[in-house]
Amino acid sequence: MENLPATLLNLSLTGYVLGAVAGVLFLRAEKLANIFTFGCASMASLCGVVSSVMVLVTGAAAANQSVQLLPSLIPYIHFTIRVDPLSAFFLLIVSLLGFALSTYSLGYAKGFFGRKNVGVLGAFFNALLLATVLTFVADNIWLFLIAWELMALTAYCLVTFDHEEAETRKAGVLYFIMAHIDAGCVILGFLLLFQASGDYSFASLHDIGAQMSSGKRDAAFLLFLIGFGIKAGIVPLHIWLPVAHPVAPSNVSALMSGVIIKTGIYGLIRVLFDFLGTPPLWWGVTMLTVGTISAVLGVLYALMEHDLKRLLAYHSIENIGIIVMGLGAALMFLHTGHTVLAALALIAGLYHTINHASFKGLLFLGAGAVLHATHTRNMEEMGGLIKRMPQTAFFFLIGAVAISALPPLNGFVSEWLTYQALLQGFGTTDSLMRLIFPLSGAMLALTGALAAACFVKAFGITFLAQPRSKQAEQAHEVSGSMRFGMGVLAAACVALGLFPTQFVQLLDPLTQQLTGQQISAQLSLANGLVLASLTEKSGTVSTLGISLMFVCLLPIPFALWLVFARKSKTRRGPTWDCGQRGLTPQMEYTATGFSKPIRMIFKALFRPRRDVQREYEFSPYFATTIRFESHVEEVFERRIYQPLQILILRVSRQIRALQAGSIHAYLLYIFVTLLSLLLLFAR
Amino acid sequence: MNPPTSESAAHLITLLASIMLVLQLLLVVQRMLVANIRVFATQSLLLAAIAAVVGYAYHAPHVYVVAVLTLAGKVIFLPWWLERLVRQIKIEQEIDAFVNVPAAMLICGAQTVLAYIVARPITSLERLGNNTLAVAIALMLIGFFLMINRRKAITQVLALLTMENGVMLAAIALTTYGMPLVVEIGIFFDVVVAVMVLGILVFRIRETFASMDVSKLNELKW
Repeated sequence: MENLPATLLNLSLTGYVLGAVAGVLFLRAEKLANIFTFGCASMASLCGVVSSVMVLVTGAAAANQSVQLLPSLIPYIHFTIRVDPLSAFFLLIVSLLGFALSTYSLGYAKGFFGRKNVGVLGAFFNALLLATVLTFVADNIWLFLIAWELMALTAYCLVTFDHEEAETRKAGVLYFIMAHIDAGCVILGFLLLFQASGDYSFASLHDIGAQMSSGKRDAAFLLFLIGFGIKAGIVPLHIWLPVAHPVAPSNVSALMSGVIIKTGIYGLIRVLFDFLGTPPLWWGVTMLTVGTISAVLGVLYALMEHDLKRLLAYHSIENIGIIVMGLGAALMFLHTGHTVLAALALIAGLYHTINHASFKGLLFLGAGAVLHATHTRNMEEMGGLIKRMPQTAFFFLIGAVAISALPPLNGFVSEWLTYQALLQGFGTTDSLMRLIFPLSGAMLALTGALAAACFVKAFGITFLAQPRSKQAEQAHEVSGSMRFGMGVLAAACVALGLFPTQFVQLLDPLTQQLTGQQISAQLSLANGLVLASLTEKSGTVSTLGISLMFVCLLPIPFALWLVFARKSKTRRGPTWDCGQRGLTPQMEYTATGFSKPIRMIFKALFRPRRDVQREYEFSPYFATTIRFESHVEEVFERRIYQPLQILILRVSRQIRALQAGSIHAYLLYIFVTLLSLLLLFAR
Repeated sequence: MNPPTSESAAHLITLLASIMLVLQLLLVVQRMLVANIRVFATQSLLLAAIAAVVGYAYHAPHVYVVAVLTLAGKVIFLPWWLERLVRQIKIEQEIDAFVNVPAAMLICGAQTVLAYIVARPITSLERLGNNTLAVAIALMLIGFFLMINRRKAITQVLALLTMENGVMLAAIALTTYGMPLVVEIGIFFDVVVAVMVLGILVFRIRETFASMDVSKLNELKW
């Protein structure tokens, strides 16, 4: 029993391997492939959930030991894993989402039958989950990097699953390039750490920053920030995210947005809090600033989107920004020695991490269901789906409320905690911190409001009113397994929202490990029914209470109706149509129209360009056709990446002159290099 | 465990290694293709002999495996395969080179001197014979030069193989009677596979360009 979590973890890893093998075996039998691959994946991830929860609840020390997974075949490369509380937490995220996604995929993959090879999809899906789990539990640099690279490659294969489309291939290439820049930075960062420690195991890297010169430590910080930042998708390294996430199959999009980008967060926490030691102030300031910018820009660009999945991808940038804000605040508190506040900020970040995984996973699954039913990602062609797919609409609504940080769901709790951390930072003495905390708090408020606006648009345009296209009109509810997958994540959103104090207890071992403080007792009041921010004075909230209030208030209108209006006459008629002849979908509010005010307010950023052409026969008031085009400028693509691309291509052209195409010339290059090195150094 | 260094074994190894170097120089001068292949076979035979001597004199049984592998692969199989290739594609026997023979000899002499300079600081680590490491480095450098100097793909294959002989010699000379067996076998199969691939490539080059001159490959560049 002592080793049960470890056994379950091994079972889980084996399950993923089996699933991947099954996918390869049943390449030609799609039904079997579907059942076996996703069946294995769901069983494996269920094992992972149980294992990680057990580690977090009991703090099982048995799991917190280096275990050799495979005999090492090559010197120095050991396949050792260890589940410490931090790993267990992220293992919980990947397993929870993995379970929901696998069951969802059982139904979703049926849409590919006869069209695409489901065996390939299932095999890579399992491989990606396996690589992600290994990334989280790896206990040495080698295994971490191997898993990291494996994750990037399998994710690439999944992103380009629909490789017949040119758009998908292009997105795949962009993702591939960004993933390798990120791997390069991470490798360099680890080399710097290794230089100081002389050992590859993570245990030896603990607090290694104390032994490094400050220049090298800062270099390592920047390398890791860029490397892990690309994976996490923080601005301005985010450009791959809104391109690659939408083109993947929806179950994969959910996995990428829910978990894969969290590997970047895991890496940042592991390195910054575990390895690099007490941080200088500017690390925290950088993180907080970058996080704030990501949050605001992410939601602003999301508002401009009318591609449902791209919209969700931009929201991932926003939420990653919020998580990074929490981490940055925690770093700043660690610098000043306020470990309790650091623990609070860290909890806020971690809580938002699991919240984002659950509601973003849910939303992507909802988007996938809509896509499955309507075969379009363009919101302007949807509408009226709430009547045709009521359960999907309900689940999507839960996700939308959660991501908009409305009480009583989970997004509210973690954003509330982030506010508390930021506002309490105001009480610290440093003048820079006094300035930056309220500023980023204000930005977070702006973000929350804009996110709510964005999801009013996303839900309203997609599900409400009348269908705008034939596909939307013929849409139908999706299969049971898909609804079950969404239901699991919706339940997670509700549970994480209603029982924050209980969940925060699970995070105690983490904050103990990373900041040396356990603060869950200070966060909970009244037997865990009320969430407090350290002291009662600074703020309390009870999501349970809020929802109880909702439940109590709900009967009141009915009661009033019973008392006053029961006798009055009921009339049913069509909605007033301003005297036109019937309401048509053409009269509906569009996504573009909805976001116009915000486009105007942030004109300086978006630089909107629009092009209207109208043709008329008699008078300009009776146009026969109107053509309307509207674009917003993608600042980072235009201002940073395009010049960079041009520069690289120009340099490459120069270098190309070296490549004469003659084998003898190449050999000569190598030979001359060898000889000169020998002459220089071998004395 | 420190087996006694047998004086005569060391002498024998030095002698064999120096003959290997002489054969390498012969390869630079020799212009007939089949003769080249046979010189290479002889050189490999000497390498196998060195491995056998090491295995016998220092009681290192796994070095015998290296000897047998070398004998089977580089003395018998590869020369046979290459000669068959030569016969199959009916190439003319004359080898074209970029640098004429006297200049090539001078360059090779300079490389040998360089090899001795390079090897000097680490000769103290050398366990078997004198100058074995220097000879090994000379073999590699001259092999490299051969690759650059020859025009035809098949002679470059030969040059690569002689370089590999140099690597093996260095491994036997410098480390504890050879590298770990796994690594040696790995290198060996690498070379065999490389030669196979190159052999196929030779066919293709000949089919496409009606010649084996690799200089013509630059026509593939866009």
